[in-house]
Amino acid sequence: MKNPYEVLGIREGASEEEIKKAYRELVKKYHPDQYRDNPLSKLAEEKLREINEAYDYLMKNISSGGSGQYGGSSYGRGGNGGWSDSGSDFFRQVKSHINSGNIRLAEDMLDSSRSRPAEWYYLKGLIFMRKGWYNEAYTHIQRAVNMDPANYEYRSALERMNASYNAYRANPFNTRTYRSEPDLCTICQCLWCSDCCCECMGGDLISCC
Amino acid sequence: MFGYVVPEKPEMKIKEYELFRAYYCGVCRSIGRRCGQLKRLTLSYDTTFLAVLLSAAAGEKVQALRKRCPLHPFERRHVISGSSAVDYASDINIILAYYNLEDKKRDRDSAVSAAALAMLKRSFGRLRKKYPDKCCLMEQRLGELIRLEKQKCGSMDMAAEPFARMMEEITAYEPLCTGEETRKVLRWLGYNLGKWIYLLDAFDDIEKDIKSGNYNPFVYQFGYNGQDVEEFRGQIREKAAFTLFYTLNEISRAFELLDVKLNRGILENIIYIGMLRKTENILGIRRCGEVEESV
Repeated sequence: MKNPYEVLGIREGASEEEIKKAYRELVKKYHPDQYRDNPLSKLAEEKLREINEAYDYLMKNISSGGSGQYGGSSYGRGGNGGWSDSGSDFFRQVKSHINSGNIRLAEDMLDSSRSRPAEWYYLKGLIFMRKGWYNEAYTHIQRAVNMDPANYEYRSALERMNASYNAYRANPFNTRTYRSEPDLCTICQCLWCSDCCCECMGGDLISCC
Repeated sequence: MFGYVVPEKPEMKIKEYELFRAYYCGVCRSIGRRCGQLKRLTLSYDTTFLAVLLSAAAGEKVQALRKRCPLHPFERRHVISGSSAVDYASDINIILAYYNLEDKKRDRDSAVSAAALAMLKRSFGRLRKKYPDKCCLMEQRLGELIRLEKQKCGSMDMAAEPFARMMEEITAYEPLCTGEETRKVLRWLGYNLGKWIYLLDAFDDIEKDIKSGNYNPFVYQFGYNGQDVEEFRGQIREKAAFTLFYTLNEISRAFELLDVKLNRGILENIIYIGMLRKTENILGIRRCGEVEESV
């Protein structure tokens, strides 16, 4: 097993609070939902397992007396139960090929099919997503949703794509470092206000005005 | 390449900036040392990123030496030396510069690119022998790209595929990344990086391409029919933004799976801030005057 502190990215001897915080952030980062329809999902799972192990290990050792309220509830693979058994045998086969990473075979099967119901467009969209053809993927899944608006699976795939699109820009790196600093006008205003206040009280902050 | 993969300098720590510059100088020197001084002119930021990334992925022990350089005669600068990632990046720099010039020459037969091509010919020939498989695959991809462009391919995903595949090939350099997993992650990162570069460049060039009649994937995907160029860009902006940001998101996810200890700050800066800025600028969705320019 790797050094659990290193896995969680914290210094050795970190407090329980720090461990929990680091753990929560990492779980968010590597959560299966973040890597759905992504060729790297297996690796993310692996990483998450490592994180869970490290966390469990640390929690056990820190509070040997108990209070392991997080201990047992480490996050597992959240998704994947989603494959409903609706649709024909043919589509189920295609789905299982997609899931096992056999994209080319799944694509050949789909292309050879004559009938093109909503399910066809949905699966084709999933394949495009795995290949990295995001525009095609979106168009196809959108089409599946339009053809069968009641289907939850299609809609949630579309929503996931939208969420991914927004996720990058909502990243903490951007929100943390930007827009939080005051610009020159705000600074001047602040100075001016402080000066006025000081003068009211009989003192002076900026002597020249 | 195109110089789109750049760090956002104001957001860097000074030590990160110095290190990034040391890599930049390192690639430059490496080109000069092994291919001749004049070829240093082909240096690009994209290959510097490649050097930083591969150096981190390989967990290299790097060394920064202070050296003098004829371009900056009055100060000694830090230069990364003895790094195989840097050497590899400098080779790739020459190879890509050569392909790029060939492409330019094909488009419009200019004397400048012909002269530059002649200058690079020997170095390129040597590198082609050094990386026979890589070059072979890259030429194959470029052939596909030319074919798709000739056919006026109507799908931007399909048009971007060869270039993305080429970058995938470049990023996953076996001797530097040990382990099946790292290679897989780097491949996906490279693929999406290539896609982003190709499409961003295409969006940037819409106006130019419409005027000159060159192929542009956006023009054919969204059926440009003679309206005002600015209006057309406005119409397709959202669609283009979707793919570009989605691609960036995949890059960041792949990056998070990489076991990076070295250069983390620089890479995060480039991937999360630099590339975002670049995309927003080119798409024209940056709210002007809101950030650092205000002071």
